[in-house]
Amino acid sequence: VPGAGAALRPCSSRVAQDGINQPVIDRIIRVDHAGEYGANRIYAGQMAVLGRSSVGPVIQQMWNQEKNHLKKFNELMVAYRVRPTVLLPFWNVAGFVLGAGSALLGKKGAMACTVAVEESISEHYNNQIRTLIEEDPEKYKELLQVIKQFRDEEQEHHDIGLEHDAEATPAYSVLKTAIQLGCKAAIFLSERI
Amino acid sequence: VRCQQYPPLRALQASAALRGASDEHKKEPWASSSQQHFESPPAGHQPEEKPQGPHPSYTGQGGQESEDYESEEQLQHRILTAALEFVPEHGWTAEAIAEGAKTLGLSVAAAGLFHSDGSELILHFVSECNTKLSELLKKEQKLVQLGEAEKKPVDEFLRDAVEARLRMLIPYIEKWPQALSILLLPRNIPSSLTLLTNMIDDIWHYAGDQSTDFNWYTRRAVLTAIYNTTELVMMQDSSPGFEDTWRFLENRVADAMTMSNTATQVQSTGEAVVQGLMGAAVTVSNAGTSRAVR
Repeated sequence: VPGAGAALRPCSSRVAQDGINQPVIDRIIRVDHAGEYGANRIYAGQMAVLGRSSVGPVIQQMWNQEKNHLKKFNELMVAYRVRPTVLLPFWNVAGFVLGAGSALLGKKGAMACTVAVEESISEHYNNQIRTLIEEDPEKYKELLQVIKQFRDEEQEHHDIGLEHDAEATPAYSVLKTAIQLGCKAAIFLSERI
Repeated sequence: VRCQQYPPLRALQASAALRGASDEHKKEPWASSSQQHFESPPAGHQPEEKPQGPHPSYTGQGGQESEDYESEEQLQHRILTAALEFVPEHGWTAEAIAEGAKTLGLSVAAAGLFHSDGSELILHFVSECNTKLSELLKKEQKLVQLGEAEKKPVDEFLRDAVEARLRMLIPYIEKWPQALSILLLPRNIPSSLTLLTNMIDDIWHYAGDQSTDFNWYTRRAVLTAIYNTTELVMMQDSSPGFEDTWRFLENRVADAMTMSNTATQVQSTGEAVVQGLMGAAVTVSNAGTSRAVR
C-alpha cells in the first residue's frame, strides 16, 4: 500500500476537475447517458407504431423532452471525460424493440411501458441524488440540479402514462414487472461496462 | 487525477537497511531498538541532509509522516528516475536500479525494493512518458486557445502526438524490445493496459474528440492499433532519424482517415439505396391497387 502522503504517484495525467470523485461521477454520467439514450429509442419505437394514432402527439412531446435530456448528458459526458457504455448499440436495438413491441399491444400497452420505465428511471435518479448529496452537495451542485430537473420531468411522463389508462392494459402488472426488471439489469450493466 | 498505482513489492524495512550503508555513516537511531527494527518506519530523511539526532516522530508503529520525510512511493519514484540513466547500458534490470540508487547515495540493496525483472522500472518509465506527452498536448492546446497557434487537422494532430510519444523511446530503443516483452507478462498486463488506454484517450481528448456513441471505442481502438504497430516498426527501423517509421505512421493515419470517410460514404449510400427501394415498393403497391380498383 503506497504511503499515505504520496503526491508523486506515477500516473498518466488524466485531467480531473479538482477534487471530484471521478469513479462515482463516471458511473453516474455513463448510466444516465445510457438511460436517456434508451428512453429515446423506446419513444422512437412507440412513434413508429402509434405515430399516426390519437396518442401520437403525446408520445412525440415526451420524446422531445427525452431528446433534450440526451443532449444534456452528451454535453456532460464530454465535459467530465466519461466513456459511454459499450452496450449502446445493444440499447439502440433493445429500446426500439421494447417501444415498438409495447405499442403493438395498443395505446394502453405503450402507456404501460412508459409508466414502468419512467418509474424505474425516477427511482434511479432519486438514488443518484441521494448519493451526490451524501458526497458533497456543494461540489456537485450543477449535476444535482440537472438530475433533479430530469427526475421531475420523468415523473411527469409517468403521470401522463397513468392518465392515458396505462393500468387498463391486459396483464399490466406482469408487463410492468418484466419491464422494470429489464431496466434494473440495464442500469446495473451500463454502470459497469 | 486518475493515477496508475502499482503496488510496491517489498516492505519498507529494506529502505531502512539501505540507508544505513550511505556514505555519511549516519547512525540510525532505530538500529539499536529491536522493536523499531521490525516495524515499518516512515521513509527516512533525504540522504543529502546532515546526520541528525533521533527523530521525534519515529514512533515505530507504521509511523506518522511529516513533511521532512518522503513517503515510500516518493523514494521509489526517485530511485527509478535515477535508474533510467543506466538503462541503455544495463537494460531494464536490477543492475540499472542499483546504479541509480548509488547515484542518490543509497545502498545498492535498494534494488531489493523492486522486482528482479525490472517491471516497475519499465512501468515507471511509461508512466513518466505519458505524463510528459499530456503536458505537451496541454501546452499546445493552450497556445491554440490563445490564438498563438493554428489548430491542426485531426490526422496531423494524431501523427504528431504519436511521433512525439515514440520519440521518447529513442534513448532506450535498443533495450525497448525487452521492455515490451516484460510489459506483456500477465502480472503486468493490467497496469500496462491501463497506461496505454489512458494515453490513447488523452491523445483523442486533445485532438478534440467529442464522441458519445460507439465511435468513442472505434476511434480509440484504431489509434491503439496505429500506435502499437508503429512502435513495433520502430524497433526494426534502422533508417536515419527513423524516417521509415514516421512514413509508416503517416500512411497508417491516412488509412484510418480514408476508412472513416469510406464508412460514412457507405452509410449514406446505404441509406439512399434503402430510400430508393422503399419508393419503388410504394410505387409498385400503388400500381397494384390502382389496377385492382379499375
